[in-house]
This record gives sequence, structure tokens and C-alpha cells, in this order.
Amino acid sequence: MNQPSKPSQLSKLSPLSKPSPPSKPLNVRITNTGVYLNGRLLLPITADDSLTAIYRHLETDYPKFHKMDELSKSAFLGVELLKAHDPLLSTYNEDKVSLLFCNCSSCDSSDLKFEQSYAVNGSASPSHFVYTLPNIMMGEVAIRNKWYGEQQFLFQPAPDFTVIAENLVLLFNNGAEACIFAWVDIREKRDVFFVLLTPQHDIPSLASALEKLYITTHD
Amino acid sequence: MNRPVYIGAEYLCTPLGRGAKENFAQLLLGHSAVRPVANAGFNQETLHLGAFAQPCSFDELIGDAFANLDIDPELLTSPKTRVMLSTTKGDLTNGIEGAMQRAMESVQRHSRSFHPPLVFSNACITGVSVLNKAAEYIAAGLCEHVIVVGCDVLSPFVIYGFQSLFAIADGRCKPYDAHRSGINLGEACGAIVLSASRSIFAEPPLIHAGGSVTNDANHISGPSRTGEGLHRSITQILLKKNINLNKASYTCAHGTATRFNDDMESVAFTRSKLSEIPVNSLKAYFGHTLGAAGVIETAMAMQSLRQDIIPATLGYETPGTAEPLNVIRENLATQLEFVLKTASGFGGGNASLLLTRS
Repeated sequence: MNQPSKPSQLSKLSPLSKPSPPSKPLNVRITNTGVYLNGRLLLPITADDSLTAIYRHLETDYPKFHKMDELSKSAFLGVELLKAHDPLLSTYNEDKVSLLFCNCSSCDSSDLKFEQSYAVNGSASPSHFVYTLPNIMMGEVAIRNKWYGEQQFLFQPAPDFTVIAENLVLLFNNGAEACIFAWVDIREKRDVFFVLLTPQHDIPSLASALEKLYITTHD
Repeated sequence: MNRPVYIGAEYLCTPLGRGAKENFAQLLLGHSAVRPVANAGFNQETLHLGAFAQPCSFDELIGDAFANLDIDPELLTSPKTRVMLSTTKGDLTNGIEGAMQRAMESVQRHSRSFHPPLVFSNACITGVSVLNKAAEYIAAGLCEHVIVVGCDVLSPFVIYGFQSLFAIADGRCKPYDAHRSGINLGEACGAIVLSASRSIFAEPPLIHAGGSVTNDANHISGPSRTGEGLHRSITQILLKKNINLNKASYTCAHGTATRFNDDMESVAFTRSKLSEIPVNSLKAYFGHTLGAAGVIETAMAMQSLRQDIIPATLGYETPGTAEPLNVIRENLATQLEFVLKTASGFGGGNASLLLTRS
């Protein structure tokens, strides 16, 4: 978001680009067809090379992006989109931004690529192997943003927002000034959902609030 | 943390045997699970692995852990109990796809837990980070008891991967040693119970006195040269608890025996003013058991605290880290008040936890 014109365009779409009111946290969804900000279409995309299209839209210069696997690319873009629409996210204490990322297929896609490298192509590929852990995408986000805070990857067959909210509460108990919850799944279809939370949000009602956000922004 | 979190009933199933006491006795005898395994490598080379004599499936190991856990079986099925799994790859028996789902189902089936198990996967720090999460669940009153189980099994997938990174040792690994050449992979399962109540434990429990999880924000597959995340993690625990680790303390470190990891730890421990207190690595006994490592090594650290003895760092002879450390060469009988357990791993993660007597 280097161009000054874009944030103002976005602010028309999003009433939340000012400091978020506590009830509705800033959220981003990336599907096979588009990027949605707080449930509203921000950028239509096509299935081909769609993550690169979002990267270009963000006008970000981060060459490492192109080396990442698809999970990490999705995680990177989700966080960049949150930052573009809440500048406060870049201002928190570097030890106090915590991440809780979840999905229902771990890093299966990258696992299969690495497996193919040795089983079919005859040579185990280190560049594929390093992405065969589901927490790596959070490491990429940490490196990009110099965030030293806690990171947790939780596998769930489907989003269990009660458990997700419990874990977010614990991250805030540990002193987080901001938490990013993300559901990042790419196995069958792209299901990427990012939410930015601060202690000002209504933590006890977090589970139902997150579930509502997830369902209402789901296509 | 408003109420004390008790920790006990540690159990392990490793190639060295079943049970925490039994495994600890093996460490004190200097016995190792690491042995040459023919044709284990990508080019059919022999590799040193901490492998079971008879291949063991993920599901068998999980079944063994829950069958032998020394707690009231009613506790397992209670709504007040949570079960948490630490694993990096899950149950690979039927291939890579869906391995986490199968792992979760295995734990659910064997634990018969009321709530679905929570499955965490944070690379090599998962065991320690899950023990911390369990303590936080209890301290926050979200539940009364947590069973933490850590498990990973050897697979060509993981072996070939570490080979591709040139991270595998020529023989048995040599943590912190000048001639170290990399890691041994291993497989194991461990279980530990945490609770708000001390009365559920047959043997008096210890206390989980604090934990922290951080990130290096530096590199996805290499540790920070400045030990940034590990230093921050240790400092956060000691500051929050206002604890000064003194002579009655010991650090059960990660010590994978790669040049980068061990140097990083030496820098982080020195920055955290811990270079004087005894430190060991258990990797030459078990190999690196990935998602199980934090759980089985914490179980051994608990035995150290119970028995006031620190096992030698098997494989260590010649100091060889960037900063000098007080690496334990021979088994050391010494009164212990605190044990610090640390772990560092891929993705830049670092985790620490502090144990003390109750």
C-alpha cells in the first residue's frame, strides 16, 4: 500500500480502516475468486496465479515471497492485507504480537511436493523439505515483520471457535498487544481467513463473534 | 498464573524402554537408543537412528502411553480434562496425506477423552510449547487437568529431508562437542499430566513454574546467530517469575549437535547469564524425536529433579561452542531446586519452561 490513493479507495469499502470498533475485528478472507475485507469484495481474482495477483496489488517488494510455498504465501498476504488496513498493526511491541494459525490439512500440499522430489524425481529437495511443517508460515510472517512473539499452530478437522477463542484468550493472558488468528487451508480449495484482535475486543464473546465472521464472510 | 500447576505422572515409551524411571536409569548407565540402521538413508546408506528394534506405529505408541499412564482412568474421560498432542508429522502409517487427522483420531480413541484432543504442531519446540499451553489452560481455569502426549515416528520422509539439509551425523551425535557433525533422528512417545490438584498423582508431583514461547524472526530453517528468540524466551520466564537461577539449577537444553544449533544456544545461554549453571543435552540417548522430544526430555528433567541427579551429556568430550558452557560430562549428583527445559526449532520457534518442587 505505497500509493496514497489506494487506502482512501479502500476506506470507502471499509468503515473499519479507522481504529476498529471493539465488536467487529478487522478481517480478511482470500478465496479462489477474490479478496474480501470485512466481508466486502476488495479484489476479484482468477484461479490462475491468483496469489501473485494479490501480491502485485499490494505493491509490496519482498522477493522472498516468490520462494515460499502456497501456505506461506497465503499467510504472508493475509498479514500484509491486515497491515494495509490497520496501520496500528505495525506499531505494536515486537515481543507482543502473537499468532494462532489453524487448518485441517497441515502442510499436506508441500509434503506431497517433497515426497515427489525423492520418490519420483530422484532427489530429496531441501527447498521443499523446509516447508513441510505447518508452523513455517508463521515463521515467514515473523521474519517479514520482525515479530518475536508467541506462535501456535493448531490442527483442527474444522474450525472449532470455542477452542480458538480459548487459545486467543491465553495469548492475551501472556501479554499480547495484538493477536492474529488465521485459518489457512489450501488443500481442497483456498480457505484463508485472517482476523486481527486486540485486548479491547470482547474476549468472552469471541467464540461466537469469530464464528459469525467466518460464516458471514464464507462464500 | 493464579494457581499452582502440578506436573507429574510422566511416562515414556522409547527404544530404551517403557516408563520414566526405567528410561532415566538407562541414561544414568550411559545406554543409548541410537544405533546403526542399515539401508536407512536415501542412497541405502547406514544411518545412526534412535529406532525401535521392532517397528512401532504411531497408533501403537499412543495406545501404549494411555494404557500405562499412572492416573485414575476416570480422569481421562472427565469433562474437566483436556488431552493435547504434540507432533510434527502425525501418523504416517498410511502416507503423508491426512496424517494429522489420523494422529488426532488415534489420540481420541486411546484416551477416550470427553473433549476432542488439541493437536499442536510447532516443529521441534512443540513438546515444550504444549506443556506450557497445558499449564496456561489450568492456570486460567479453562480446565482442571491436561494430559500432554508427544509422539513422532521415524519415516523415510523425515530422514531424507534431514539428509537433504546435510544435517545428519556420521555416527552417534555429539552435542556441544567440537567434533559434532549433526543430528541423529529418533522416535518415541511420552506423556505427562498437569493438574490444578496435587491429589490426583500417585507419586508427589512437581510444579510447572512458568513457560514462554517466542520466535527468532530470523530464518525458517536456521537458528538466530544471536540466540534472539531463546534469550527472549528464557528472560521472559525469569523476569515474570522474578527468579534468579542459582547453583541449585540445571538447564536441560535442546542440544541437537548441529553446529548452528549448539552455537546459538551457547550464545543465548550466555546472554541470559546461564553459562555457569550445569547444562546437558539428551539427544545422544534418544536421538532427536521431534514432536516427542520436548515431552520425553521434560520427563527426564522431572526425574532429575526427583532424584537430584543430572545425566551426563552423552557424546560430549571436547568443548566446542561459540560461547563456553558448563556442559555436564559425567552424571552429576547435586541438589536441584529448578530445572529449565528449552527447545528451539524450524520456523524460528523457541520455548522454555521451568520446573520446581512442590
